[in-house]
Amino acid sequence: MAKSVAVLVGTKKGLFVLRSSAARTRWKVEGPHMAGQPVTHASFDPRDGSSIYAAVNATWGGPRIEVSRDLGKSWKTAANPAFPEGTVGRAGGDGDSELTFKETWHIEPGHASTPKVVWAGTAPAALFRSDDSGMSWTLLPGLSGHPTRKTWNPGGAGSINLHSIAVDAADPKKIAVGISSGGVYETRDGGKTWAPRNAGLTTESYAPGVIMESGQCVHHLVAHPTVPNVRFMQAHEGIWWWNDAQSRWDSGGDTGRPANYGFAAAIHPHDTETGYVFPLDWPQRMSNELGAAVYRTRDRGKTWKRMSSGLPKRAPMEVMREGMATDRLDPAGVYFGTNAGEVWASADEGKTWQRAAEYLPPVLSVGTATLV
Amino acid sequence: MPVTVRLYGAYSGFAGGARETYVTGQTVGAALDALVVTHPSLRERIRDERGRLREHLSVYLNKDDVRYLEGEATPVSEGDVVHLIPAVSGGR
Repeated sequence: MAKSVAVLVGTKKGLFVLRSSAARTRWKVEGPHMAGQPVTHASFDPRDGSSIYAAVNATWGGPRIEVSRDLGKSWKTAANPAFPEGTVGRAGGDGDSELTFKETWHIEPGHASTPKVVWAGTAPAALFRSDDSGMSWTLLPGLSGHPTRKTWNPGGAGSINLHSIAVDAADPKKIAVGISSGGVYETRDGGKTWAPRNAGLTTESYAPGVIMESGQCVHHLVAHPTVPNVRFMQAHEGIWWWNDAQSRWDSGGDTGRPANYGFAAAIHPHDTETGYVFPLDWPQRMSNELGAAVYRTRDRGKTWKRMSSGLPKRAPMEVMREGMATDRLDPAGVYFGTNAGEVWASADEGKTWQRAAEYLPPVLSVGTATLV
Repeated sequence: MPVTVRLYGAYSGFAGGARETYVTGQTVGAALDALVVTHPSLRERIRDERGRLREHLSVYLNKDDVRYLEGEATPVSEGDVVHLIPAVSGGR
């Protein structure tokens, strides 16, 4: 039985931690940690129940990863991910260039059977592996040097970056990653070899009439935490569910959502067919004239329901790609953070919402820690 | 050559709050190399993975920005002060 929940809120000016009992009705705001510095993503490690990994992409001192072993009370700086000298590849611009570490976009704890393995996605796009619980990092050249890298183009915030890491619930060697704009790649051997997994995705809004093996604009990809082969994503163009039997993506369709576009996506912790997204209008990247709302599907994206009870009516909001998450409780909690510095929480799977925090800096990421 | 290194703002924080330390070296670069031996937490904050000084760090030798001298190859003399200053690079 969970005793409490912590919501890790990465912002433009530091990491905040929101704490509540399992009731999730009253929230205490702690922080900021790394005050004044952008925290692009922070993740809790459920395997030890106490580690937090934070992607700090600071101007002064450059990008770094901070690790806490005590749920944020104290922090230690990890050795940076580093590309070996001589590593070249497409990083934007014309042709290949030398790859050097610019930013961390996502940090993901590894599979439960590999308790010290942690993964980090970076800009320029690459996947790094840690075998010491996040304190040092090694490049996986099979992905960063993939022959299709030449098809990758600048996507998120003008860089080519790896922003999503989906570790399979059953097989620690089976991992999918999302790259902007490179598409989805999958390894089944722990990261040595990779293959594009983009069959089924459409690109009509940005590459009409083109059938692409790779190079798709993926916005946020998640894996189910306990059931294997379940993946769900919000892409530049639509919602997609992974069809493992056919090794392709099934379209979520349009029914019930106001826009195909958006960044954030979260999956229900106990139901493989339920997911949440936050649709945005293009090109302003804000919720439409109806105002902010989370949309929920219970049938792998075929139909969607607007979930806005408690949210301010007609208020435009923007939620970034890491800006929404679910906890592991039953009923599941759903959370999102906005560019206006608010964090909204639902303790009843999205039916009703309450403001858990306000007047924070612009929110870049939301993660959860379900504590026992 | 013994020189003083002064750390300002974020760079003092990266060194655990140290504001001034003393190292030896013949050039600014050698002084920085000696600095990260005594303060390893500064290594990746001062240089990137290719050993280049970070973009938003200003290194001064006494009153001069080393970018306008000989960079890290600038010779130092006994009693010189090397300043590590976060560049004033915000404000949008």
